[in-house]
Amino acid sequence: MHIPDGYLGPATCAVMYAAMLPIWTAAAKIVKKRLKAKQAPLLAIGAAFSFVIMMFNVPIPGGSTGHAVGGVLAAIILGPWAACIAITVALVIQALLFGDGGITAIGANCFNMAFVLPFIGYYIYRLAGSGSQVGSGRRVIAAGIGAYLGINIAALCAGVEFGLQPLFHHTTNGLALYCPYGLKATVTAMLGGHLLIFGWIEAIVTASVIKYLQKKFPEMLYEEGAA
Amino acid sequence: MAENNHFIERSLMAVLVLFKESIFSEDCASRKGFLQARDPRVKALMIFVLLLAALFSRSIPFIAGIYGFCLVLALVSSIDILFFWERTLFFIPFFSLFIAAPALFNIFTPGEPLASFHLFGMAVSITKQGAASAGIFFLRVLTSVSLCVLLALTTRHSVLLKVLRVFKVPQIFVMIMGMCYRYIYLFMEIIQDTYTAIKSRCGNISSSARGRKIVAGNIANLWRRSYDMHNQVYSAMISRGYSGEPKVMDEFRAGLKDWLCLGVTLSVFILSLWQNQYLN
Repeated sequence: MHIPDGYLGPATCAVMYAAMLPIWTAAAKIVKKRLKAKQAPLLAIGAAFSFVIMMFNVPIPGGSTGHAVGGVLAAIILGPWAACIAITVALVIQALLFGDGGITAIGANCFNMAFVLPFIGYYIYRLAGSGSQVGSGRRVIAAGIGAYLGINIAALCAGVEFGLQPLFHHTTNGLALYCPYGLKATVTAMLGGHLLIFGWIEAIVTASVIKYLQKKFPEMLYEEGAA
Repeated sequence: MAENNHFIERSLMAVLVLFKESIFSEDCASRKGFLQARDPRVKALMIFVLLLAALFSRSIPFIAGIYGFCLVLALVSSIDILFFWERTLFFIPFFSLFIAAPALFNIFTPGEPLASFHLFGMAVSITKQGAASAGIFFLRVLTSVSLCVLLALTTRHSVLLKVLRVFKVPQIFVMIMGMCYRYIYLFMEIIQDTYTAIKSRCGNISSSARGRKIVAGNIANLWRRSYDMHNQVYSAMISRGYSGEPKVMDEFRAGLKDWLCLGVTLSVFILSLWQNQYLN
């Protein structure tokens, strides 16, 4: 899901940056209004939390391990707008300081992982869990469904971004300049992996953490959607 | 049974790799070298301009030239080239090579055949267009990753965050990034300590379901500790004079050499735009 530099053409990169600009502005305004002066340390800690979630390897059946992105989890505990900023900061640090993920692709990466993933996942969680108690089992299932659908829709977006490259960027004799595969191949590849493996890891981790929070620290869930 | 402990080993390994990379980066950034001596603002601009040149270019020799330039910059910046290759060739470019491989064949890229053979009873050929497409894709990714790593290796991370102000990133974001960067290390230490404690106290984890419970508990506890911490951090900021407006100390000075370097990289970028137009 993490798009490196060179996969997307300059026009796509520019469009994705342009698409994220109003989202970042709105997120900054909303979070500033709701979290007031305490926003900076909470957001910094939230961003660091988003960064390190990926370091938790989860055992999956068959003896292997995988890791979650944690976008929907961050949205459920921080609120979608604050999660958007936290994940953006984590992605920028990852690209700039650790050389992972692209600098020119930050707009696209943020669109998929800091906007689509937390927002879709969070609102599906709210919809599926509406009318239920914060500590109910339905909320746990709703978190799992939200995480599963959120990451799959984000993967679909990444697949579409990849698949559009041969259409937008090619030479006069049809030579693909960036990602060389069309929509059919990229969407199948991105969705295949996420529908079968990564989506389940994301769902299991998100649901398990929400269940644990319900049991041990229920007060943390009462503040959901604060930002 | 030991297989169920893989998640602990791999999590510890992920933390160690990040620590190791960070220590190497700081070590490289503090050495005497060409890029280390450049003004960080100009250096960041240079790398960004070269990234754009690689992104806009449609020619394999031109991108190869930028990659060559990147290697020269690494050499004159006291970076061990083997370490640089180890850091840049594996993972993203290697993964990209794997992704680009099917594009070589006529199934994905029809065109003039370079070599033909039978695979599972099907006539398959590597096409000239496929080789060019896969080649330019791989080379572009390799060059871009190398440029990003070069910037990270030759600039102290704290300085690099300050440089973001040059690109008009709002101060509040720069401050959040600076704080986040420090917390990442604190959290990594927490993960390392927790997992080392689990490993020494529990021995083998009996099932993957139990393993998942442990991971969920750790993530939830980390968040709980993080949330508690933010109040303490805010109180510490207030007691040290934070008034809601963060201040970043900028003491950068660009010299003639810096501007010359920027001029050279800008010329490379203009050349990439020109040959882009010409090749089109």
